[in-house]
Amino acid sequence: MKPKKRVVTNRSTAADPYAAPRRRPALAGPVQARPRGPARSDAPAIPVPSRVADVDLSVDLAPARPGALALRNPILVASGTFGYGVEYGEVADVQRLGAICCKGTTLRPRFGNEPPRVTETPAGMLNSIGLQNPGVDAVIEKYAGLWATWQTPVIVNVAGESIEDYVTVVRRLDGVPGVAGIELNISCPNVGKGGLQFAVDREAASAVTAAVRRATDLPLMVKLSPNVADVRAIAKAIEDAGADAISAINTLSGMAIDRRRRRPLLGNTYGGLSGPAIKPVALRIVYEVAQTVRVPVVAIGGVSGLDDVLDFLMAGASAVQVGTAIFADPLLPERLIDELAAYCAEHGLASFRELVGVALPKGRDRPSVKGVEYRP
Amino acid sequence: MRLLDAELISSREILPAQWLQAYHAPSLAGSVRAGQFIHVRTPDYSGLVLRRPFSVNTVDRATGTVTIHFRVTGKGTEWMSRARQGERLDILGPLGRPFEVNPRTRHVLLVAGGLGMAGVRALADEALEAGRRVTLLFGAASAAEVYPTSLLPDEVEYVVATDDGSLGHRGYVTDLVADYEAWADQAFACGPEPMLATLARLARGRDERLGVAHLGRKGGRTRSSAASGSAQARRRAWLQVSMEQNMGCAVGACLGCVIHGVDGPVRVCREGPVFAAEEIAWGEPA
Ligand SMILES: Cc1cc2nc3c(=O)[nH]c(=O)nc-3n(C[C@H](O)[C@H](O)[C@H](O)COP(=O)(O)O)c2cc1C
Ligand code: FES
Repeated sequence: MKPKKRVVTNRSTAADPYAAPRRRPALAGPVQARPRGPARSDAPAIPVPSRVADVDLSVDLAPARPGALALRNPILVASGTFGYGVEYGEVADVQRLGAICCKGTTLRPRFGNEPPRVTETPAGMLNSIGLQNPGVDAVIEKYAGLWATWQTPVIVNVAGESIEDYVTVVRRLDGVPGVAGIELNISCPNVGKGGLQFAVDREAASAVTAAVRRATDLPLMVKLSPNVADVRAIAKAIEDAGADAISAINTLSGMAIDRRRRRPLLGNTYGGLSGPAIKPVALRIVYEVAQTVRVPVVAIGGVSGLDDVLDFLMAGASAVQVGTAIFADPLLPERLIDELAAYCAEHGLASFRELVGVALPKGRDRPSVKGVEYRP
Repeated sequence: MRLLDAELISSREILPAQWLQAYHAPSLAGSVRAGQFIHVRTPDYSGLVLRRPFSVNTVDRATGTVTIHFRVTGKGTEWMSRARQGERLDILGPLGRPFEVNPRTRHVLLVAGGLGMAGVRALADEALEAGRRVTLLFGAASAAEVYPTSLLPDEVEYVVATDDGSLGHRGYVTDLVADYEAWADQAFACGPEPMLATLARLARGRDERLGVAHLGRKGGRTRSSAASGSAQARRRAWLQVSMEQNMGCAVGACLGCVIHGVDGPVRVCREGPVFAAEEIAWGEPA
């Protein structure tokens, strides 16, 4: 049975994205989702684990559709860094991952950008892949059958140049066995608005989310771009438009120079910065978004060790995605699962979810604006 | 493809800023073929987030060692050049597709430009072992950068070109190919892209100049009968090239190393690094 369409109760029409004051953001529920109830701190009925194996790592990233995106653990792999889940199969155990976000998928096949497409930068890298992919039909034909046999859910990352593109792609994915959810990559130029990215335009972000929401009952996660002045208004608009979860962040816009040739290094001139260099930015954005929305936040950006995972959880993320770090260490995601369980056991936590949001400002009705005013 | 922990057993600077290092890696030595590469992790992850790809330069199955040959071009290779005997490196490999020598090939022509030597060096050993004759054409800027003869098997005919004429032919290594194109049953090249593009152009005109049929193309078979990227397509090609490109994952996941193939985009790390010359769309807008 398909879950019912979500009834959006908190659609805000006011221009002020913070018009509806919130308690603490609701954190992602446990897998056996119960109705949104009292704050978790009131219900410590679960025994404190002494063994790593007893730690509950499960998390539901779409609490409004109980069980539809119930993950065994909160360690995902980020879109574009793990292909379609098959490429690293000889060295990594994909069956252990919380979920896989596959490469960005568009309606039609795309060649992508001119080479060179990647280059290393201090504590990071730039990429300008240009959304190369074989198109949604080929992705379904080549991979969905295999994905359907995996215990690890595959979330298809979707990109487009118009709302119709997004909707068409998502309609084709809807109901396909092996497709567990959608992650909308809205850091794409919106042809209808002169190439302005969906992600930087609150109305466009809201419109594309709402249109996709109407097109599918699949769990829907929307991925934020960091290249905006205030991400909170956009996050709020996306939540109001019916997203089940928000992931953040995509890459930061950057470039590099080829000094020998005296010209931009990347074939596309600009590229997206990722890796440890962007973690503080990602952390700030997760922290802001977690105070703005109630849906689960999935952190992305520079995760390369357990400390990063803990930081993001404490800043309000319910799960994390590992991206660039996989290139150096393909076994990192699996190790993070074990290390997170060990950390929880050591600190007497029955579930890692007890860490989620502990560093957020307490006892406030309105989200903190502290620090946000500091825009050098 | 495997993740392995390999011990550095020797390291020396064979040319200015160019190093030859031997690693103990029995599983790699047992499975790698000429033309394939490895992806090496540098230890300072917080600063250097990418592995570094290296062609496997030589393989010694008996002792389970492989060598790599690299130039210090940045922080990662600088760190590697300072690694001491006994240090352990995290290696992913073997990766990519190897050179494919046609079973009927008796005369092998290798063409290398500078560091491109590392790309074809292992094939010299493989071809000699299989009883083939090998001529190696090598090009460098000047005599100071010419790969030492002492590091090549005696059976290899070694012909050198330098840009400044300080050793061997004065000019490009590609100038030397004309003398060997009739002799060679197949040619294998690695080096800067303009060199490879020139070779590809020469290879295209070779049929006409020599009036010969391509190897393995008898019986009415055409290029399209061997799928682009297949071992068959390479085995039938007169010229195979080892391409270089910046890499992220090196396993085909990130599409960071993609270049233009005649039938569409190809991943250097997965469909390559070795391609039949006619599989590459040379001189596409860069
Ligand atoms: C090579 C590469 C390709 C990427 N492709 C996509 C993509 O297709 N869609 C997308 O939403 N994000 C893409 N990303 C962004 C990552 O999913 C992630 O948001 C970003 O890299 C930050 O995480 P990290 O620092 O852990 O890599 C890509 C990143 C890299 C490095
Ligand atoms: S380097 Fe990632 S696909 Fe080739």
